[in-house]
Amino acid sequence: MPINCIDDKVVRVDAEAKARGEAMYVSDYSFPDMLYARMIRSDIPRGTIDSISVPQLPDGYYFISAKDIPEGGKNELWMIAKDWRCFADGDVRYVGETIGLLVGPDRNMLDYLAGRVKISYTEQEPAVTIDDALSLKGGPIVGEDNVLCSLFCEKGEKMQSIMDRADSVFTETIETGFQEHVHLETNGALITIEDGRYVIYVSAQCPFYVRKSIAGLLGLNPEDIVIRQTTTGGAFGGKEHFPDVLAGPLLVAESVIRKPIKLIFTREEDMLYSVKRHPSKTVFRTALDKEGNILGIEGTIYYNCGAYLSASYVVLQRGVFHANGVYDFPATYLKGIGVATNTFPSDAFRGFGAPQTLFAIETHLDHIAHKFGFDPAEYKARYFIRKGGETVTNGHIIEEVKLPEMMKKIADASDYYRKAREYGIGSGKGIGMSFYNHGGAFTGNGEQAIIKAHARLVKTGDRVRIEVGSTEMGQGFQTALRKIVANALGLDMDHVDYDNPDTSLVPDSGPTAASRSTMIVGKIAEDCALEMKERWAEGDFSVEKEYQHPEGHPWNQETFRGDAYLGYGWGAACVEVEVDRLTNEVRTTGIWTCHDIGHAIDELIVHGQVNGGVIQSLGYASMEKMENRKGHFKQSSMSDYVIPTSMDFPHQEWFLEDNPYQWGPQGAKGMGELVFNGADAAYVDAVERALGITVTKIPIPPEDIEEALENA
Amino acid sequence: MAVNYIPETLEEALLLRKAEGAVPLAGGTDIMVQHRRAQGIAPDPGFPVMVISGLKELKGIRKLEDGSVEIMALTTAAEIAASDIVPWHVRKAASGMGAIALRNTATIGGNIGNASPKGDLPQPLILLDAEVVLASFDGERRMLLDEFILGSKKTALQSNEIIKSVIIPPHDFTYSYYRKIGMRKANAISKLSFSAACTVKDGIISDFRASSGAAGPKVIRSREAESMIVRRPVEELAEIVPDFLTAWDHAISPHAMPMYRRHTTARMLTYFLEAIVNGAEPGIIE
Repeated sequence: MPINCIDDKVVRVDAEAKARGEAMYVSDYSFPDMLYARMIRSDIPRGTIDSISVPQLPDGYYFISAKDIPEGGKNELWMIAKDWRCFADGDVRYVGETIGLLVGPDRNMLDYLAGRVKISYTEQEPAVTIDDALSLKGGPIVGEDNVLCSLFCEKGEKMQSIMDRADSVFTETIETGFQEHVHLETNGALITIEDGRYVIYVSAQCPFYVRKSIAGLLGLNPEDIVIRQTTTGGAFGGKEHFPDVLAGPLLVAESVIRKPIKLIFTREEDMLYSVKRHPSKTVFRTALDKEGNILGIEGTIYYNCGAYLSASYVVLQRGVFHANGVYDFPATYLKGIGVATNTFPSDAFRGFGAPQTLFAIETHLDHIAHKFGFDPAEYKARYFIRKGGETVTNGHIIEEVKLPEMMKKIADASDYYRKAREYGIGSGKGIGMSFYNHGGAFTGNGEQAIIKAHARLVKTGDRVRIEVGSTEMGQGFQTALRKIVANALGLDMDHVDYDNPDTSLVPDSGPTAASRSTMIVGKIAEDCALEMKERWAEGDFSVEKEYQHPEGHPWNQETFRGDAYLGYGWGAACVEVEVDRLTNEVRTTGIWTCHDIGHAIDELIVHGQVNGGVIQSLGYASMEKMENRKGHFKQSSMSDYVIPTSMDFPHQEWFLEDNPYQWGPQGAKGMGELVFNGADAAYVDAVERALGITVTKIPIPPEDIEEALENA
Repeated sequence: MAVNYIPETLEEALLLRKAEGAVPLAGGTDIMVQHRRAQGIAPDPGFPVMVISGLKELKGIRKLEDGSVEIMALTTAAEIAASDIVPWHVRKAASGMGAIALRNTATIGGNIGNASPKGDLPQPLILLDAEVVLASFDGERRMLLDEFILGSKKTALQSNEIIKSVIIPPHDFTYSYYRKIGMRKANAISKLSFSAACTVKDGIISDFRASSGAAGPKVIRSREAESMIVRRPVEELAEIVPDFLTAWDHAISPHAMPMYRRHTTARMLTYFLEAIVNGAEPGIIE
C-alpha cells in the first residue's frame, strides 16, 4: 500500500531492527586488532598538576596525553569557542576533566593500570555554585569576574521609571538544578583508519560538529576526518557537543597508535563525567499596580556554565529570550549572566536554556496571582501574546497564537475551573496550569548566517536516497523525513532510503538540535523532492538545495534586536495531584497537554515525543536530583539518580492545535523541545496549591516539600 | 582474579566457606553491582565467590509446628510476595522491592547479608522478631535478626557461616501498618520505610511494635518506647502518644534528610495510633 498521505500513522522505520536487537550501536562494532581506551580523569575540581605517574606499561599499551598532540596541533576542542581543552595540561578545572587515555588490547589490564596511574595535585578552593562563582570563591576561574558570557535585552519604557511609579515591586528568586540526560545508550566512539583517512564511528547528534571540533588537534582540515554516526540510543542534547570530548583524545591516540581504538563509557562514567543541564537562578523584580497588574518585569538570569563555555552563550541567549514566557508585558529588562564554576561544563539539554526561565516566569506569575487572589491560570491568560505582539527582543510574533483555544481544550478536558475552586489551597489536592513556547530552529539569523544547511536527494531508478547530515537519535526523524520526501514525490515510503550519515557522503545539514530538523532540513528536503518530481523523467540525477531564509525576519546578532526566532511552538499543560499528608508523596492523578507544533507529520511520533517530553519535565520538577558536593556529583547510578517510570505518571491526555506553519514542510514546526518546556511548572503549581506552600526551587522531592511546609 | 566455585550441596558449600572463605552469591543483585568494573569486563570482588543458587536445601518456605514460618535463604522476593503463609508485613515489603526482574532474582538471604540500612526485608522481619539460622560446617546457631545485623553493611556472620534461613515466630496482630517511601513509585530504593503492629485484647494493648528502615545505620526498634504502650488500656493511649513519639524520635538517627525522616515517621506513627484510639476495624490500616 503506497503511503502518500502525510496524516497516515506509520510504523517507525527503525522500530523493527531496534526491537529485534539488530541495530548496531557503537559498542557493537569490532575491528581486527582493535584496542580499547580508558579515560584517566581529574579527581579534584581545581588545582595544578604536580606530576603524573604512569606505571610501567606492558608492550602494546599506551598512555596518551597532551604531550602527544603533534606540532601544529592545538590542545583545544572547537565547539562555539575553543576554550575546552582536549587534555588537561598543567592544571585541572573540574572533576572528570580528561587528563589522558590508557589504550591497549585487554580491558582487564587497562582496569589494573588505571588504578595505578597516580596524579598529584596542588589543590585550590573550587567554586561550585552560582553564588560561589559570583563571590569569586577561590579566585576567579575566568577573567576577573567569572562571567563567561552575558547579554541583555529591553522592551518598552525604562525600567527605573516603571519601578519608581509602581505601587509595589515583587522580588523573587527562582532556582533550577542540574539535570542528567540519562540517554539509554551511554557515550561511546571508535576510531580507525580507512584508506588513509581517520574514520570515527560515534553515537552522536551532530557528526559535522565532531570533525570541526577535533581537526585542529592534529592541524587537519575537518574534511580530512570522516565521521560515521552509529545508531544512537538517545541523546537529549547530551550528544550534541559532548562526543567531541571522546573523539578528540581518540584522534590524538590514533595518530600515535594507528590501530582501531574503542572508547565506551559505563553508566557511572556517563553520570559522573558528562555534561548536564545548566543549573539556574533567576531573580525577578516585578513592578505592579494596586490591582496586581504588571507594569514591567526586570529579570536577572544566572546560568552555571561549569568550567568551559561549550554552548553556554547560546543556551543563555535562549534562556533570556524565553524569560517572558508566552506573555506580552508592557516592559521588560532581561539580563543573562553565564558564570564559570569548577563543575563539569553544562551543555545542551532538550529545551536548551528555555526550560529554566520558562519555569521561573510561570512560577513567579503564579505567586503574584496568589498574592492578589487571582486564579493563576486566568491571571496568566490576561497577558498571552498575540500575533503582531512585541517580543522581548523588539521583534514580533508572526504567527497566529492559539493559546486561548489551547487553554480551553485542557481546561475543559481536566475540568480545571471546578477543581481549582473545589480544591482551593491546602486541601491536599491541587490542579495547576502552565503555558510555554519554544522558538524553532537556531536563534536569530543563525540558520542563514552560520549554518547554511544543505540537503540532497539522489534518484537511482525508482528509488530515492536522502542525503543529509541530520541524525536519528530515537526522536523519529528518519521516519518523519522519509515521510515528507515520499509524500512530496508521491512515492511509497519504502522507495525512499535514508541511512545514518557519513560526513564524507552527505552534505552538512547543520546539527540535529534546536528542534530544527523537521522545520528546516525537512523543508529543504521537501523542496528538493518537489523539484525532483518535476524532473522525474530525466533519469538518474540528484537535487541539492541550500536553506532559503524567509523574507522579513530582521535580526541583529550584535544588539539582540529583532525576530529571535522564525516561529514558535506553543504549549499548555494542566497537572492534577494528590499529596499524601503523611509522607509528602505526590500522586499525579491527571495530565492534560495541548501543543501547537504547526501541522504534525506523524501523530504516532508526536505522541511519543509528547509523552516522553512531559514525563521528562515532570521528573525534572519532582525527583531528578543531581547534587554537586565540593565539585563532585553525588549521584552516580540510575538507582540514586532516579528518572520517572510509567508508574509515576501513568496517564496523559494530549491534544494538538493544528496551526500549519507557512515555511515548514507540510506546515510542520519544531516539536522535540517544546514538549519538555512546561509541564514542570504546572506540576509545581498543583503541588503548591495542594499544600499551601511556596516553591522557588526544583526539583521538589518529598524531603524538600517537608522544608517548604516547615517554612509555610 | 579470585577463584570462584559452584558447590552442588549445602555440605560442599559449608566446606568451601570454611576452607576457602568463599562468599556466597545467590541472586547476585548486590555483589555483581557493588564490584562492577569497567565496560566489557566481569565484576571482580577481590575475594573468592561461590554461586549457591543451585542449592535445593536452601529453597522454599514452610510452616513449623509451633506456627513459625521458615523462609530458606535462597527464596526470592517474588516467591515471598506470592506466599500465603508469609506474614503480611514481609510479603508487602517483598512485593515492593526493586523491579520485577530483581524480585525474581534477589533472595532473602542476600538482602539480610547485605545489611543495607535501606534494605527492604530486614525492616518488617525485625518488627516480627525474626530469627536467622546460621549454618557452618561445624553446626548451626540461631539468633535474633535484630542482633545479627550490627550496623550499615555489618553483620555478626562468622567467616565460616552462611545464612541458612529466617524463622518468623507466629503473631496475631489486631492492627498492621506498612509503608515504603521510595525515590519513585516503583523500582526504587527506600527513602524511608516503616512498619507497625498492635494486638488489642479485652481493651488492653497486649503487643505493640514499630520499626523504621532507612532512618539510621540499621533497622530501628525501640523496646523502651514500645514498653510505654504495652499492657496499657486503649483508652489511655491518646495521652501516652506525645511521650511515645518523643521516645521514638530519640531512637531514630537519620544522617541525611533528618527533618523529613523524623517528621514523616512521627506522622505515620501518630496516624497508626490514632486509628487504634479511634477503634478502627481490626486488620490492615491503610
